[in-house]
Order: sequence, then structure tokens, then C-alpha cells
Amino acid sequence: MDGETVLDSLKSQFQDAVMDAMVDSQPPHIVCANVDKEKIVDVCAYLKDNLQFNRLSGITSVDFLDKNKFEVVYMIASYDHSVIVKLKADVVRDENPSIDTVIPVWWNANWYEREVYELMGIYFNGHPEMTVLVLTDDMMGEWPFRKDYPGFPQTAAKYPYSDDQESVVESEYPLKWKSWPSERHYLE
Amino acid sequence: MVNKHDVKKRMRQLAADYIHEPQQEAYKLDDTEMMLHIGPQNPIQPGPFLIDLKISGETVRDSKLYMGYGHKGIEKILESLTYIQGLPITDRMCYLSSLSNNEAYVSSVERLLDIEPPERSQYIRVIMQELSRIQSHLLGTGEYATDLGFVTMFLFMIREREYVLGLIEDITGARITHCFPRFGGVREDLPEGWREKAIDVLAMINEKCETYKELFSSDRTYRMRTVGIGTLTKEDVIKVGLTGPALRAAGIDYDVRKVYPTLTYPDIDFKVQTGNNGDIFDRIMVRINEIQESCWIIEQALDQIKPGPLFPDELPYGRRTPSMRVPPGEAYVPVEDPRGEIAIYIVSDGTDKPYRVKVRGPSFALMQGLPPMLENVYIADVPAIAASMDSCNSEVDR
Amino acid sequence: MLEEQMDILLGLLYTIFGNENWWGPWIRGVVGLCAMGAIMVSAMFAVWLERKYASDIQSRIGPNRVGGRYGLLQLIADAIKLFAKEDLKPDKVDTPVWVGAPILMFGSALLMLIAIPFGAFVFNGTTYPLAVTQFDISILYLEAVSAIGIIGIFMAGWGSNNKFSVIAAFRNIARMIGYEVALGLTIVSVVIVTGSLNIVDIVEAQRSVVWFAFVMPLGFMIFGVSLIADMGRIPFDQNEAEEELIAGWGTEYSGMRFGLAYFAEYIHMVLGSCIAVLIFLGGWNMPGFLVDLNIPLIGLLPAGIFLAKWVLVMMFVILIRWALPRIRIDQVTSIGWKILFPLAMVNLVWAAMLGLVWPW
Repeated sequence: MDGETVLDSLKSQFQDAVMDAMVDSQPPHIVCANVDKEKIVDVCAYLKDNLQFNRLSGITSVDFLDKNKFEVVYMIASYDHSVIVKLKADVVRDENPSIDTVIPVWWNANWYEREVYELMGIYFNGHPEMTVLVLTDDMMGEWPFRKDYPGFPQTAAKYPYSDDQESVVESEYPLKWKSWPSERHYLE
Repeated sequence: MVNKHDVKKRMRQLAADYIHEPQQEAYKLDDTEMMLHIGPQNPIQPGPFLIDLKISGETVRDSKLYMGYGHKGIEKILESLTYIQGLPITDRMCYLSSLSNNEAYVSSVERLLDIEPPERSQYIRVIMQELSRIQSHLLGTGEYATDLGFVTMFLFMIREREYVLGLIEDITGARITHCFPRFGGVREDLPEGWREKAIDVLAMINEKCETYKELFSSDRTYRMRTVGIGTLTKEDVIKVGLTGPALRAAGIDYDVRKVYPTLTYPDIDFKVQTGNNGDIFDRIMVRINEIQESCWIIEQALDQIKPGPLFPDELPYGRRTPSMRVPPGEAYVPVEDPRGEIAIYIVSDGTDKPYRVKVRGPSFALMQGLPPMLENVYIADVPAIAASMDSCNSEVDR
Repeated sequence: MLEEQMDILLGLLYTIFGNENWWGPWIRGVVGLCAMGAIMVSAMFAVWLERKYASDIQSRIGPNRVGGRYGLLQLIADAIKLFAKEDLKPDKVDTPVWVGAPILMFGSALLMLIAIPFGAFVFNGTTYPLAVTQFDISILYLEAVSAIGIIGIFMAGWGSNNKFSVIAAFRNIARMIGYEVALGLTIVSVVIVTGSLNIVDIVEAQRSVVWFAFVMPLGFMIFGVSLIADMGRIPFDQNEAEEELIAGWGTEYSGMRFGLAYFAEYIHMVLGSCIAVLIFLGGWNMPGFLVDLNIPLIGLLPAGIFLAKWVLVMMFVILIRWALPRIRIDQVTSIGWKILFPLAMVNLVWAAMLGLVWPW
């Protein structure tokens, strides 16, 4: 099994859904293909059942602000042979970008899709649990890895309380240290 | 005068608002069940994460894993630094195996730049990878031994690890977070007299590994705690998508060094170590066998290495240029980390900073596979299973 | 001349200790306090021995700063540190229970003190065991009192109002119920052979023939395992396992409260080793292979023999701690009930047969 065989088999099975397919010239000779967003689960199921691609390496997403699209990239490998397939699905960058989940095909896609959702904002239809994985709960909805995120590293880091608004606790109970212990009046 | 109890009450209200939402809707607990949090701060964890266990008596019925206490946004940081500035950042993703992280990053950028390091640099990189593997396995197995109460094994392994770290320090100058490879070669050459010292140290480690294998397999108490516990059969392992020693312990011989050979691994002859059952005992045996195999690889590499240049002659932008522009494209190169397969997917758009960097770390899959393994085990098995997977928490969170 | 002086001295001692004058109890109290002080010093020695021996096993140097090159006074430095810490009491603990737990543990360890003879003083052919008192049921009393410390650990686990401590307390009770039975049965088997519950009689019985460890090897092994379980050391320290239960029952204790419980554990180890030496290893009798040397047993030589055996037993207990991993709690109870209990019954039968022929 090498890259050319996989490529031909994919092209013959899905003529419309798979576009721009090629094999990388350098090792590890990845087979890259662009896939239509609607057919992603079918392509993945075909890869797993017929061509023995039983390991999902990772799911990631790239934000192309100028082309107004997200790209969801699937890295698929196998325990039986040494071909890697890289599938890319374009998702239009509107208010609710979404794509189908591939959990029915590979069980371990769960955490990868959660991470993509909380960092980039792409919703995965049919995912059992879309909650935060690496961010905190109050940062859900901020999609930090987008290119137009108004925070680090372009500007200063976002902090729960902005500079011109004092925290609620401090206004009622001033807990700031002054300078020397004799000058601390925090319990007055 | 502010009332102390009002302050306390207000603080408690604020703290209550910060509880995880999934925890607030807590599972429905029966009368016999209790929720135990092996929490973000625990003396035995390698890094902060939270496991919620629903226990009934001493048996775990359900478990839930919360990550993210160490998220630094490394992938986003790397988008704002040049390629050479990003190299020390990849050191710190998993600080125990920093040479493998560096290797993955540097290999991907070399694919984009379309250069190949000369042979001497490749051999030096292979030697450093294997040394890093030895010290990471020694520390990982030692930490696992403390979780069982076997403190003496931890101290023995740390004692050996000091020699290996001495070898690494002779070349790179640091015990941890080395930042050693460069695009097209390595930073320093092997110093004089290093080869003889290395051969002595490796012979000693080989002999000590025999002792460790015997200590682990002949101890009756240890076997009671580990044989048959935390088993992942071949189907489970394929479903979870693991790589590394946890995969090989189940009997599948899949090693990134054999499947996607880079550098000079094709010229070196070594065996892939596998286990039989996939339980805790086999994972530890696989790791100790891998230490011995790495000693053998380093000896072969030291035999085969020949004097030569460290960098290729026509380097496109010079090796110290900070503002090197990388041609547009994408690269993905898998490398064998002590914990599995690490690969860094770099998308470049032609400027001097990457457009998108995605780190596919091995510990992500190991942590994902932890909750299904913790069904109907005892509480005392939970740390043993978690430590035998040997995952590095800072790589999951990145 | 010497004999007359010793007679006068002994007469004086009898007057002081034997009579019921008004100053009798006071003097006995002072002697008891001195004995307590001696036990503290020996617990200090036990801690030092453990740390140095553990560091030898692990190829490192243990304490070597406080008190000379060998760190003999390290525990004093630790005690000063513990005294100087802040006395934290969490808000929601059950105060009388939580405060009383270390006191109970320490007190029960000290209660064992009054019945254990720490060697003997031989003069003029008569042996005077160095015990605070001797009474007829001393071995029964010792076992009963050592079990009170378990209640102390359970109080600590319950009173801390903490899930980790409660789990530790449950594990503790499970362990103790299993191993107290085996311990009791082996002690009973020794008592059957001797025919008396007095611990001094048990030691004297071993002088005439041979140590009980050689005629009842099964009983000795069961007793050894149960004793290590009783002391709560690895491989049986599930109640303070550091991985999943942060510090088990000691999670909420800091400062000298923790120091008290820690010290009580070492005193328990010291006194448990003493009991092991007395009832199985011949107490203060000379080892059989040295009897031919005809060393006259006078003065405090038996006490020296006792101390030597005691140090050997403690070193064995410490070695077991640092060489083995911890067992899981369900395996602990299964060993206690499925293996040790039937074997203890077998040993009891063997001891009954032996008791018929023992020359006593």
C-alpha cells in the first residue's frame, strides 16, 4: 500500500468530493486532498473500512481571514501501513461555522474536536459534549486562535476586569497593601 | 470598620461562582456513592489536572477528567515569533523530552526550507534523541514507582539518570530544555573524550537495567499490584489511538522510527520492544527494555559516525539569520517521543513567522484514554494506572 | 561486704517501692516519668535509625548536620520546627474528636510502657526484670492497649471532615480487624505453651529450652507480618498513602499535633519490637550458641542482650518498609482473613501439642 494506490482509490470512489489530491514528494509522503464539507464522514469511513486507516492522528484548523474561510485539517494514519492522509475541509467563515463530527468513525476524535471548537469556534454537529478542554469556562466563546482575536499577541492579554473598571470586591472592601505594615488600613 | 465575616461571605460567593459548570450539575449520587476529587493540586501529579471519581466504597464507578490548568497558548505564541525564536518555546512544551520536541519542529521547518542536514549532524541528533529517551524513561518509571510506595526504586533510577544528564550536559550545556538542533544541523559538536565516557555510562546503565527488571518481576507484592490491572487489549488500544510504549505493551509493534524513518535510523539495527498483555506490568517492562535498546542504538551510532561538517554548504539564509523567510507550504513530520509520536504541523505563508503551528502531542491521546480505563478499579489503582501511562501534563495543555 | 551493701540497697528499694507509705506513689510516679523520658529517647533513636538505614538502602547520606557527623540530634531540630509552626484548625472539623485523636494515639502508646520489661538486672543469682510493674495479665493488657491507638486514627479520620481522611479511616478499620485477630491468636499460642499470661514468665520459659521462634516458626512468621500491619508501616500503610489520599488521616494536621501523632507511631514501633523480642526471641536470655562461652550473666548484661535483639528487629522492620511496595486494601484484607487466620489456627493446634511437652 503506498500513496498512489490510496490516491487512485479515493479518486475513483469519490469523484466530486475529493479535489486537488496529490502525493507529497518528500518523506513521509503525505497524501493531501481537499474534501467537500458534507462528505467528510463518508470519506473517513471509506478510508477506515476499506483502506485500513484506523488511527486518527489529529484534527486541527487553520484560519484564512483573507479568503474568508476556515480549513479543518484531518491527519489520518494507520497501524498497518505507513501512508499518512491529510484531508482538508473548507468551512465558510460566517456566524456559525459547523461541520459533521467523525466520532462515529474514530473514537478518539472527541478531544480534538472539542479543542478545535473552543479555540477556533467551529461547531461539530453530533458531538456529545462540546465543553472547554484547555481553556477556562469563562473563555468559551472567545475563539482565541482566530486571526482577529483582540488579545495577545497583538495587544495586551485580556484580563477579567479591564483597567478602567475596578473589581467589585475592591471597591467595597479595599484589600490593597499600601507600603509598610504600619500603613495598612485594610480592615478600617 | 469592615466586618471580617462579611468579607469571608463575599469571598465564598465569588469562589462559588467559579465552580465548573459540569461539576455543578454533578452526577446523581446514590446513597452509597461519594465524589472524590484527585484535584489540581496533589503531591503526586506530574502537573495539574483534575480527576473526579465517583466511588462507592473503594471501587470507582465513573470518572471524569478536566484538563487545562496549564494552558499557555503556545501555538498562538509561535505565530508571533520568528522561526528561530520559536525553538526555545518548543523545548518547554514537554520539558522532560525537550530534544524530541525540538527535533519535530526543526524537521518540519527543514522540509519547508528543502534542506537536509549532513550525515554527522544526523548521527548527533540520533544520539541526543536516544539519550533523551533514556532519561525520560528512567524518570517516568521512577515517578510511577513512588505512586506504588516503592520509593527505593525511584531513588535508584534518579541516581542513574544523573549520569545520563551529565552526558547530555557535556554536549548541550543544559540538563533540561536544551534547544540543541538548528535548521540544517546541530549547535555544537561532540566534545573530546565524550565517546569513551559515554560507552562507560551506557554499559553501566545496561547492567542496572537487568537489575531493575529482576527487581520488578520477582517481587511478589509488586506483581499483585500490577499484573492484570489497567489492561488495554489490542482493540482498545487501536480505538483510543495511542502510540508509544502504552501501545507496544499491548502487542502491536508500531514504532515511528521504523514506520516513518528519518535521519539515519535506517542504517541502525534495532528491535521494537513489545509486551504481551497491555497491563501495567508490561508497560514498565517495555520501557526498561527500550532503555537497553537505546543504549545499543547509541553504541552503533558512535561506531558509525564519521568526522564531517555540521551544516550543509549552501544554506539558503545562513544559520544564524533571525529573519529567515520560509517558502510557503505545509509540513508534517512524525518523530518518536519517549511517550509516543509527536508531530508539528506548520503552515507557512512566505513570511518570517509561521502562519499556523499545530502540535500533535502524544500525551493528548494518553490522557484521553484514561477515563475508560478507570472503570471498576479500586481507588488505589488510579494513580498506578495514570502514572504507568507516563503522560506529561504540560503537553496536553500546551 | 559487697553483698551486705547490696542487701541494704535492695531493702531500701523494697521499702520505697513495696510499701504503701505516703511517698510511695510519688516516687513511683517519678520513676514512671523517667521511664517515659527513656522511651522518648529511644523513639528518637528509632527515627534516627530509620533515616540513616533508609539512606543507606537508597545510596545516599541521611541526616549529617545536626549533632555531629551522623546527625544524631536531627529529631530535636524537627521537633523545634514543628513547635514553631502555626496551629491551624480548619473551620469545620469536629473539635473534640479532632483534637483528641493525636492525644489518644500518644497516650495509648505510652500506656504500653508500664508492663514491658526492658531487660533485666541480675544480682546474686536473682533476676529483677526492669519493668515498671509486673502483673499477671501483662501480655493481655499490652495487646488490648495497643489496639486503642487504632481508635485514635479513626477519630482523626472522622474528625477532619475531609473525604480523604474518611477513606483512610475506613481502610484503617478494615486492616486492623483483620490483623488483630491473627496477632491475638499467635500470642495465645505462646501463652498456651507457657501456661501464663505474665510476660516475664514467657521469657523465663524460653530460657529453659529454646526460643519460641525456633519451635513455632509458623507462629513467628504470622506474628511478624501482623506486627508490621499493626504498626501501620509499608506494606500496610494504606491509611496514609500519599498518592490518592493526600496524607490520609493526617491531612488536616500540622505543627505539633502532627508531631505528636508521628512520634506516637514511632513509639508504637519501638514498643512493638520490644514485644516481639520478648515473646518470640527469648527476651534477655543469652543466645544458645553463646552459652558455651560461659559468660557470667551479671549486672546489666541481660539488658544489653535485650537491646541488641531489639535493634535487630527494628532494622528488619525498617528494611521491609523501604524494600517493598504498598499493597492494595482489598489484598490486605484477603491476606489477613484467607491466609493468616487459617494458618494461625494451625499454629494454635501445634502450640497446644507443644504445651503438653514443654518442660515448665
